[in-house]
Amino acid sequence: MAAAPSLSEQYSLPKDEKPVESKPAEEAVVETTTEVVSEKTEEAPAAAVEESNEAPAPAVESSEAPVVESSESPVVESSEAPVDDAQTSNEDAAPAAEESSEAPEQEESGSEEAEEIKLETAPADFRFPTTNQTRHCFTRYIEYHRCTAAKGEDAPECDKFAKFYRSLCPGEWIDRWNEQRENGTFPGPL
Amino acid sequence: MKIQMIVREWLFFTIAPCDAAEPWQLGFQDAATPMMQGIIDLHHDIFFFLILILVFVSWILVRALWHFHYKKNPIPQRIVHGTTIEIIRTIFPSIILMFIAIPSFALLYSMDEVVVDPAITIKAIGHQWYRTYEYSDYNSSDEQSLTFDSYMIPEDDPELGQSRLLEVDNRVVVPAKTHIRIIVTSADVLHSWAVPSSGVKCDAVPGRLNQTSILVQREGVYYGQCSEICGTNHAFMPIVVEAVSRKDYGSRVSNQLIPQTGEA
Repeated sequence: MAAAPSLSEQYSLPKDEKPVESKPAEEAVVETTTEVVSEKTEEAPAAAVEESNEAPAPAVESSEAPVVESSESPVVESSEAPVDDAQTSNEDAAPAAEESSEAPEQEESGSEEAEEIKLETAPADFRFPTTNQTRHCFTRYIEYHRCTAAKGEDAPECDKFAKFYRSLCPGEWIDRWNEQRENGTFPGPL
Repeated sequence: MKIQMIVREWLFFTIAPCDAAEPWQLGFQDAATPMMQGIIDLHHDIFFFLILILVFVSWILVRALWHFHYKKNPIPQRIVHGTTIEIIRTIFPSIILMFIAIPSFALLYSMDEVVVDPAITIKAIGHQWYRTYEYSDYNSSDEQSLTFDSYMIPEDDPELGQSRLLEVDNRVVVPAKTHIRIIVTSADVLHSWAVPSSGVKCDAVPGRLNQTSILVQREGVYYGQCSEICGTNHAFMPIVVEAVSRKDYGSRVSNQLIPQTGEA
């Protein structure tokens, strides 16, 4: 706390708040939040805890702090189960630390919300690694329609292609292509 | 009190919205993404060499002017060739160039590399003279469910605290700390989608989809302007990105989605 954080520290993401990359990680989080009791606990630095009684932001990861002995200091426990970070930072030798019942609520809601609105989109495709994504959109559109042509309309395995091309293509383009398909003037291999 | 504020403002040159352009701004806006941080760092790296070279060259120049003044030293030395100094002054600058080029290329290639799968895709479509944003990740049919136009607040209209010629009626809401893919395109002429604090400037070309990815690291409101001459109102189609927490983004999107899908 004494030294001002360097720029890289200031801008780096906290460990347990990993940027969303794909879906599976979040689904795992939802499952593990139920067995949060057995998860690792982490202490805030003793000085900080005594000064301010409210729980510090969950971003502060200070697992190297010594075990706090004072019983009245609220021990902060991170309720967000870091699924894959658990192994990396499990040097917390604090089995004796009691867990406060009021775990910070706001971290969990991220995963709850994610169930409502799935943060999910077309993945990065290594056929199209450049800035120009025009063909990416076009290819996904064709893939969807070839898929439905092969497996039948509303085949469940084609849904992902539909999601992809809807994510990538401007609505105007999709409308135009749909029209062209109806007229039989679509310029792609369907 | 007021004067004190103004003096302070002028002393430090920058105040208040660090994520928008401001009068007499000299430096960068505060970085909101790792890319912008990289750009700022590269700028500082290069300026180290730049200042060094500047001082060295002006020192040589002044020294030469001083010592070879026509009154003081009418007959200069007649050296036309010196192998050692020629080798030094060829090799040394190329080493400096290398020191500039390496971080520069590293940044350049990391900027258009899309390494991770993004979590959301936002389409920014330029029009004369407004922007349309499409959030289509949540669509279940070809019907657009979350699409809106973003117009500038007219000059005679802004409320107190809004930035003149920068504020829009519908901001782009993005989640912070999330990988976002932005697909930039245009429906009519060239536009450009640029937000300085995110380190993004992506041309919008009709018929082509340009992709750029950002990772906004702090919540805030970021301002940008069209950066490609696109007609009369080129100056009046700003960009406002509002980064909110992921939770707030979720509720925002579902609030906007539900009424629209309900009526459909």
